[in-house]
Amino acid sequence: MKKLLSALTVLAVAFFTVSGAHAAAAGKRVTVTGEIVDTWCYVTEIMYGLGTAHHQCAVWCAIGGIPVSVLGEDGNVYVVLKVEEDGTNVANPRIINIQTHKVTVDGDLYERDGVKYLIVTQVVDDKGIVNLTHEEYGIQPFGK
Amino acid sequence: MKRTLSILFTAAFLIGPGASQAAEEWGIDGEKKARFEAKVVDVLCELTGDCPADCGSGKRQLGLLKDDGTLILAVKNFDIFAGAADDLKGFCNKRIVADGLLINNPKMPLFALQYKKLAPDGKWSRANQFGKEWSKANGGKKAGQWFKNDPRIKKAIAEKGVFGIPGLKPKK
Repeated sequence: MKKLLSALTVLAVAFFTVSGAHAAAAGKRVTVTGEIVDTWCYVTEIMYGLGTAHHQCAVWCAIGGIPVSVLGEDGNVYVVLKVEEDGTNVANPRIINIQTHKVTVDGDLYERDGVKYLIVTQVVDDKGIVNLTHEEYGIQPFGK
Repeated sequence: MKRTLSILFTAAFLIGPGASQAAEEWGIDGEKKARFEAKVVDVLCELTGDCPADCGSGKRQLGLLKDDGTLILAVKNFDIFAGAADDLKGFCNKRIVADGLLINNPKMPLFALQYKKLAPDGKWSRANQFGKEWSKANGGKKAGQWFKNDPRIKKAIAEKGVFGIPGLKPKK
């Protein structure tokens, strides 16, 4: 019996090591405060991608289906995959409606291959748009 | 700004129909042409086990899962200001050959999908499905400047203005 249990244990460990290597896992509970941004423009810096100056373009990109992120006060980019009960994350009206806002959110963080993915379980605070960058940067990218 | 415009318009307008199926450089810092095989996955499903039918039918961000387990988020496609979900949704849980730009940025890695085909021997197609579907949904209008004609965008900007704050207007 002891040998049998030992063999079964080894098999079970081997099975879960292989099949579960990239299987779903629990996220890490976090609270993030930051600005809702367009992931592409902000990360690539192909234009100035923050605040009021970039708001219109951020709406274009969100409706175009580019992932939306929270740029945390810690400097990290958190790609938003879900907001509360809504499991859609492409051109999601809820996210578009708070584009460029400064928010605090509770959620589950998943880190995979250099990307921080955030499942927002609750928008705790929404201060609206507070990053007034247009006086310095105008309207990005076309100036109108 | 000159570089920005060059990047935006090279992607959207200057590549003719006869262009070869090979990634184009866009002049973005850290970019590198990349062609690889991978399985198309719903990223939220892959991470959490929340898996709707058909990878969310275009309403979920999709990723490319390589054989070594690396998950690559497809952030951008070939259309101006558009993502890659529409290009990849038809390949949900299938293997494709993806061709585009991997952008190695310290903030996070990005992938811009430019061409795709069913692996290993499917027919290449440009990653501009967003524009095709936008045109179809908008009475056949050309999608070249879809962002200036999209009713959802017009509504959002009419309500809140270009800066996102009602009443705050650009100086004349």
